[in-house]
Amino acid sequence: MSPITLALLIFGLMLVMMAIRVPIAVSMFFAGAVGYLIQAGWAPMSGWLNTQAFARFASYDLSVIPLFILMGHFATQGGISKALFQFAASVMGRFRGGLAMSSVLASAAFGSICGSSVATAATITGVALPEMKRHGYSGRLSTGTLAAGGTLGILIPPSVPLVIYAILTEQNIAKLFAAAMVPGLIAMVGYIIAIAIYVRLVPGQAPEHDTSEPFNRESFMGILPIAIIFTIVFGGIYGGFFTPTEGAAVGAFSTFIAALIKREMNWPKFKECFYATAESSGMIFLIFLGADMMNASLALTQVPNQLAAVVSGWGLAPVMVVAAIMLFYVVLGAVMDELSMILLTIPIFFPMIMGLDFGMSKEYTAIWFGIMVLMTVGFGMLAPPVGLNVYVVNGMANSAGHNIPIAESYRGVMPFLISDTIRTIVLLLFPGISLWLVKFIG
Amino acid sequence: MKKIESLAAFCAILAGVVLTLITLITVMAVLGREVLGKTVAGDFELVGVAAGAAIALFLPWCQVKRGNIVVDFFTTGASDQAIKHMDRFGSLLMALMAGVFAWRSTLGGLNVYAAHSGTMMLDFPEWIIYALMVPPLALTSLVGLLQALGFESTANKNNGGDNATKGNPA
Repeated sequence: MSPITLALLIFGLMLVMMAIRVPIAVSMFFAGAVGYLIQAGWAPMSGWLNTQAFARFASYDLSVIPLFILMGHFATQGGISKALFQFAASVMGRFRGGLAMSSVLASAAFGSICGSSVATAATITGVALPEMKRHGYSGRLSTGTLAAGGTLGILIPPSVPLVIYAILTEQNIAKLFAAAMVPGLIAMVGYIIAIAIYVRLVPGQAPEHDTSEPFNRESFMGILPIAIIFTIVFGGIYGGFFTPTEGAAVGAFSTFIAALIKREMNWPKFKECFYATAESSGMIFLIFLGADMMNASLALTQVPNQLAAVVSGWGLAPVMVVAAIMLFYVVLGAVMDELSMILLTIPIFFPMIMGLDFGMSKEYTAIWFGIMVLMTVGFGMLAPPVGLNVYVVNGMANSAGHNIPIAESYRGVMPFLISDTIRTIVLLLFPGISLWLVKFIG
Repeated sequence: MKKIESLAAFCAILAGVVLTLITLITVMAVLGREVLGKTVAGDFELVGVAAGAAIALFLPWCQVKRGNIVVDFFTTGASDQAIKHMDRFGSLLMALMAGVFAWRSTLGGLNVYAAHSGTMMLDFPEWIIYALMVPPLALTSLVGLLQALGFESTANKNNGGDNATKGNPA
């Protein structure tokens, strides 16, 4: 069997298993295992299996992932979001569509201490949706805004998908976070502009005037805990006081303390944080194990290396190659979970990208490509047929008694998807926007 | 299933406590280093190995809640009965995967025990982490097996097809 045939066989087996609802991690593991056994036999594979779970789980670098997840759940349960939304409403409330804009602002602020888009969407929905509905916002605009706002959880650092990319490609997490900062803020502004245009173009989605709350000392207090935690974590990382893993640990600890001070934390909520962290972390690390098996197997076929050589031999414009990869991600993201997609494809695409000349250093290329990958992940969280954020927000709205069909929510995210597309193209054509802040880090 | 489920819940809480302790140790190590100028040697090794145990301890609960993501794009039209059968098959394979890792990690643990392998700076014995990882891996396998046999967590009764929306990290 030729290597290409074998690689296709392995991939095909994985896709068939996925299609019949075998968990993604398990599909990757078994398809990879079959491929490995055919090529190398049991002896090397058994040795690999003996140590792989230990190597993946007991790793200092990877411990940053559960720590950032725990931090996000402490923030979610810690009652920080309500005051945060009030602050945002006192700033943005005076504009037309102001409460929707406030939701975006609150999501961005929450995203600065939470690395998950689903958690951000769910948290801000809990406080912002009742207010928007009370003021007469349409189900379409309110759920669309909240789903889109949630992606700021990953677009603005910390960001779990970006951490995973950093680990897979052995890049500096702190530099990737710095690179994500400006695009994340552009995303926030882009969403606010999308709302401003939408409420003017499409009548009946938002009230003519929001009753704006006055900006005062009390509303300012809402932003304080998050501002302090953000400053400690990122000040510490960029000030050279600690590593990103330490930053995540310190951040989780400070968030926990902030929740205790607000008297929001009790044992049931504490347990809720642990359960939610268990679900997220368990899922990620099992996917890691599955993808490891798959990648070990594909690496034996040599196809990823050959693919990189073939693509660089085509002489295509490097930017076009990135654009093609991103289109591929958008299509694949329609059927597959975004994290699994990254874990599976980065080991194949990354060498390909590094083999091309973008006119900048290898490190900058890797960082910029990471930001581009992150943009497609955010896009995938919103785009039909399975935009996870849309499902979460719509599900929350319906269980709160607002009867909003899922199709309405998808219609609601369209302005934001347009904004995403424009931003992604700009970032693709101008890597300098992402790399600008990175230059200040030694 | 109920007893297994509470055991998995216990593991998740234990892991959460371990993770919270990691944050505490780290804060103290950072403060000690930056404020008092005293470096704790190899604190990051402790964090790494403790995280290893915590992550393994998270797995059983993740499987109880069916937190491991599946693709449901191709089966939206399938009958509830068909989906139930497919999910049982998926759980069986999950049991097999977790079981393989429990088995091989046992052997891996015995190897490092015999070789007296320790971490680089603290020489923390690696076999201890293997020993902490194997039981939750085996428990994950057992949970998958029970699900393959048709047992379901009471917590999942209302959202049978709802896979990992709440726990999804992305």
